[in-house]
Amino acid sequence: MPTEGLAVLLSLLSQQGFRLVGPRIGNGAILYDQIETVDDLPVGWTDKQAPGSYRLEKRADNRAFGYVVGPQSWKKELFLPREVIQQSSLETGAYQWQPVTAPVSPTAFIGVRACDLAAIGIQDRVFVSAEQADPAYDARRQSAFIVAINCTEAGELCFCDSMGSGPRAESDFDLCLTEFDDYFLVETGSEKGAAIARQLPLKAASDAEKSDLSAGIEQCRQQMGRSLNTEGLPELLFGNLNHPQWDKVADSCLACGNCTSVCPTCFCYSVEEVADLGVGAAERERSWDSCFLQNHSKIHGATFQSEIKDRYRQWLTHKFGSWHSQFGTSGCVGCGRCIAWCPVGIDPTEQIEAIQQDAAEPVALPVYRAEAPITDRRNLFESTVAKITAIKAETDDVVTLALDLPGNYHYQQGQFNMLALPGLGEVPISVSGDSNGQIEHTIRDVGAVTAALTSLKANDTLGLRGPYGTAWPLAKTTGRPVTIITGGIGLAPLRGVMRNLAKQIRNPDSEWVSLVYGAREESGLLFRDELEQWQRNPAIKVAVTLDRASPGWSGNIGTVTTLLQRKQLPVDGLYLICGPEVMMAAVIRQLNEAEIAPENIYLSMERNMKCAAGHCGRCQYGPYFICKDGPVFNYPQLDFLFGQQGF
Amino acid sequence: MSESPVSGEKTYKVDLLTRVEGEGRFYLKVKDSQVVESKLNIFEAPRYFEALLRGRSIEEVPDIVARICGICPVAYQMSAVRALETGLGMVPSPQIRALRRLLYCGEWIESHALHVFLLHAPDFLGYDSAMAMAADHKDIVERGLKMKKAGNALVETLGGRAIHPISIRVGGFTSTPDKRAFRQLRVDLENALADAVDTVAWTGQLTFPDFNRDYTFACLDGDQYPLEWGDSIHISGVGSFAVEEFHQQTRETHVEHSTALQSHTKKGQTYLCGPMARLNRHHQRLHPTALRALAQSGLTLPVTNPYQSIVVRAVELVHALAEAIDIIDSYQQPGAPFADYQPRAATGSGATEAPRGLLVHRYQFGADGLIKDAEIIPPTSQNQAQIEGDLCSIAPRLMELDHAAATHLCEQLIRSYDPCISCATHFLKLEIDRGNEQSGDSNP
Amino acid sequence: MTEIATDNRPTLGVFKLASCDGCQLTLLDCEDELLLLAEQINIVHFPEATSPGQHRGPFDLAIIEGSVSTPEQLEEVQQIRGDARVLITIGACATSGGIQALRNFGDHDEYQRVVYARPEYISSLATSTPVADHVAVDFELRGCPVSKIQLLELITACLQGRTPAINNESVCVECKRNGTVCVMVSQQMPCLGPVTHAGCGAICPAFNRGCFGCYGPKESAATESLAAQIKAQGQTDAEIKRLFRLFTAGSEAFSTESQRHE
Repeated sequence: MPTEGLAVLLSLLSQQGFRLVGPRIGNGAILYDQIETVDDLPVGWTDKQAPGSYRLEKRADNRAFGYVVGPQSWKKELFLPREVIQQSSLETGAYQWQPVTAPVSPTAFIGVRACDLAAIGIQDRVFVSAEQADPAYDARRQSAFIVAINCTEAGELCFCDSMGSGPRAESDFDLCLTEFDDYFLVETGSEKGAAIARQLPLKAASDAEKSDLSAGIEQCRQQMGRSLNTEGLPELLFGNLNHPQWDKVADSCLACGNCTSVCPTCFCYSVEEVADLGVGAAERERSWDSCFLQNHSKIHGATFQSEIKDRYRQWLTHKFGSWHSQFGTSGCVGCGRCIAWCPVGIDPTEQIEAIQQDAAEPVALPVYRAEAPITDRRNLFESTVAKITAIKAETDDVVTLALDLPGNYHYQQGQFNMLALPGLGEVPISVSGDSNGQIEHTIRDVGAVTAALTSLKANDTLGLRGPYGTAWPLAKTTGRPVTIITGGIGLAPLRGVMRNLAKQIRNPDSEWVSLVYGAREESGLLFRDELEQWQRNPAIKVAVTLDRASPGWSGNIGTVTTLLQRKQLPVDGLYLICGPEVMMAAVIRQLNEAEIAPENIYLSMERNMKCAAGHCGRCQYGPYFICKDGPVFNYPQLDFLFGQQGF
Repeated sequence: MSESPVSGEKTYKVDLLTRVEGEGRFYLKVKDSQVVESKLNIFEAPRYFEALLRGRSIEEVPDIVARICGICPVAYQMSAVRALETGLGMVPSPQIRALRRLLYCGEWIESHALHVFLLHAPDFLGYDSAMAMAADHKDIVERGLKMKKAGNALVETLGGRAIHPISIRVGGFTSTPDKRAFRQLRVDLENALADAVDTVAWTGQLTFPDFNRDYTFACLDGDQYPLEWGDSIHISGVGSFAVEEFHQQTRETHVEHSTALQSHTKKGQTYLCGPMARLNRHHQRLHPTALRALAQSGLTLPVTNPYQSIVVRAVELVHALAEAIDIIDSYQQPGAPFADYQPRAATGSGATEAPRGLLVHRYQFGADGLIKDAEIIPPTSQNQAQIEGDLCSIAPRLMELDHAAATHLCEQLIRSYDPCISCATHFLKLEIDRGNEQSGDSNP
Repeated sequence: MTEIATDNRPTLGVFKLASCDGCQLTLLDCEDELLLLAEQINIVHFPEATSPGQHRGPFDLAIIEGSVSTPEQLEEVQQIRGDARVLITIGACATSGGIQALRNFGDHDEYQRVVYARPEYISSLATSTPVADHVAVDFELRGCPVSKIQLLELITACLQGRTPAINNESVCVECKRNGTVCVMVSQQMPCLGPVTHAGCGAICPAFNRGCFGCYGPKESAATESLAAQIKAQGQTDAEIKRLFRLFTAGSEAFSTESQRHE
């Protein structure tokens, strides 16, 4: 196709109703912005990049795509920086939920480089190939027309060759162009693309032109300014979590979030309630988040990644490491944006190289398991209305709500639901049991949403979606002793298990159930009636300990671990643990010392869960999303990471 | 508000002036129809701007002086760049001047709408606040808020935000808007203009206390209605003089009835700056739309009743809106947002018209571009002596009123100056030399 | 008073210490929301907007603008705290001492002499400090001036009893969400964005200038690393000192960094 054919292509796409987004100079950089004609393209311009530096320069020729990549990526068109995802209201006293479906204007992406094409593919795996599809992303993605552009020149910060994501666009485009001084080579990649190509002024490519392409691609490979040895990288990174390089990089890292924002694959988002002054309707808005921000790993009172070092390590080990376990690919496409747009020019390839040069032993990571393609395209945020039928105050700040749910709701012990109140927000709460078809949630008032949830009254309604996550291994409880070790509110997700075990006919000598339960003080004990009932069961041994004894308390005093020291720990028993992480860590040390097989230990984890579908990235724990890979884990899944600060 | 037990002696005071910017009080003691003491007392905490400007770069001055006043930051930025550019020998291009005038119009619109509707109007209609007034006159309050919003939107478009805008710099702007940025704004300004014309008519028919005074007026002189530009200052009875002569033409004197130092002309007269001064001298330079509104306002020129300043502000609202629309219509984005310069050792003065009156800055700086000395004379400090003078003059009339009504009349009078106490504080020498009395800086 | 006699609305008091009035003006700048707000809240003390004002509480919500800079203000903040159920402070003055906190680094007597002919009559403290240095504050809203959107969000959240959706992230994140090109990377302009608390909407880089820190330091503000980069890009120590020493100079992170470049 002659150079002039590009104008024809743009006008054809316009005529077909596509909004054109392509490279355009703005504020001293090449942006992906709305364009109308070839005149909007950065004809004759290129970009010079270095760590923490980006500058436009004139080219000697008049190429329209003679630059590498700018600060923006196509992510801004598919996974919007800010987006209202739903509305909810209490208009008539009852919870109402409405999805927000912004109209999608079909967009043609003009000039998608191989690295960015790979990045789109990676985000597709996050948002549409997972168990649940993100409806807004999905709609925009389906309607996009992709005009890829092959790279024949590489920049100082490029390393797509190392990451296997370029420089040639192999698939997943509608059309692919390669630009030369006076012509374009055009390849078609889809039926849509072929239909457009038929209307372009094309002639068959000559052999010389074809060899121009391979020579150009080869030249580009040679020019890559950066390279990275990716061999065994995920295992290497997780084997070096205490490498001194992390401290070194933390001295210069600003924790500003620029790298994740410019990264074409970073997908973390936060969700916030935007209530206007008129009480009633509230919008829920999501926006780009970053693992470099404090709130990313923050839950009531605890920040799991409080140090800059923790955050940088989270990012790098995820991007180049645990991403493989989660999605079967690296999270890096080698575009170099994070190097250029880091205000202090931190280069991850340098960090990795430093670790590689002085590395400790690698550790094995969970293997990626491909998920079945989704058939259910329900809106993942869709909540049903749950009505409160009964409320029981367990302690001063803990209540149990019994909820009436419409339709067929099935859950397994250990799973959780997302409970929502309009204008206040949504929180993950584990199911603490069920009775007479009512689902129970035991909630402690620790923040604004839980405060509101704990002060609801009978017949009030709230939004509920779920159940989510993994369950306790009830099948493994039969025919063996079971020890349940919990602290504080941690008894709630195990109450259903206890009830289940209490109903079973068990031999008190060989299949006894032991509940070891710690609370701060007597007034903080949950489920007092049931504790007494279980105590009367000959097959159940209940041991309660308090941090602080109140007058008249004749039971144990001290931590759960102190109590556990006095207990018989059956070697063939099953151990289910839920409580504060420090408690669980201490318990696991004890179980290890008692030579309990790790396979027989299960624990329930907690992190910052916002979407409950593995999309928002906030609840990551190494290679896991607590919301879907957890919350209940078999200990061997976690042992390489458990107890490590900063995850 | 209290009445002295001493027979024949009355004291009118408000311990915390409301619906004004900043913290002040007034105190008027009258005995046998004679004013014993008249004070507009300021207890706003000092913030030492002139001192903290020393050693700062001239580039930082517009950002720093904006923080003197949250209501008229643009005025401070405009007088500052004018003074600095004068010192540097720079003359902004016509396009930059137009853009600055446009920005300043935004501040006038926002500030005047605030004062007319939210601060002053409740006095005339008998409410404690605009929010209370809205219960009965929602349309009026909403009209004011709409106009105010249009003014703020204009400042935001050019300056990034309504309070302490960030784009004004020595030599021009950090960046200038694309013409498309004005599309929606122009519509809003058109609507606000229609509202402003109605506002002139509405304020014109309010009831004003009959209180005319023979004022000496001071304002900026120039070819246009005075705003962001003017090389000379005019004081009635004195004539015009260059801005840099301001310090020779005015002085602070010690008057008998007060222990406060006050600004006066060289001849010892108190003077008034602000909307009335501008209108009386420059009404012929008003935008035709504003001139038409003025003709239907019921005002007779010269305006000498300070209570009528609400009408004058309404006329200036029309002017600022009409002129803003004209500037937008002829706007061409400047090629360069600002002109470069080489710092040099110099002293520069600059004056512009803040919504409440003349604002004069003078800076001395070195070849290193650092400030050596700064002097800022805000409108409220100039009007200070005049306000006290007005309170003395109104005293005989207070005797006929009950105490609350008399006090309110005084408050309304003070509010008609739209005093900006935060601005005045840091420069006024008022607190000084109040004799034996404790210096009034304790809060009520 | 035209206020409804039996009034269940929460009461609001707005107070001013040493400041420019801009932050409380932000309330009046909520043109679309002001009347709605006034319907939901009983504004009992707000001298800039209402007469005559009820200076003493109890207030369900008290808002303070301005820094503590006189002996009287020291007493006043104690009184307001005692009168208020929820106390929030708004703006750089109230949360870090404001531009007037520059005197904390200088000679207060000299400052008085420069401005006032008879400094012995001026009653002011040698330092300007944030309200939270003296009394417990329930929420500190940053900014010089505060953002209208954040102020409304904070008031709404206080009324609804939820956590305000106000992030302590960097200005950079806002820049990137807005699609603004980084002025530090593309033009080598000094910019405090990477260490500054977001909330302004990242306006300065959008207007082609570096952030100058109106919202003060973000959490984990790595000022030392940023200052080193700014220096490497050609700024002098004196310039870097001034950069960190503006409206939030009194904050610990910026104050410490500015002292490194003395």
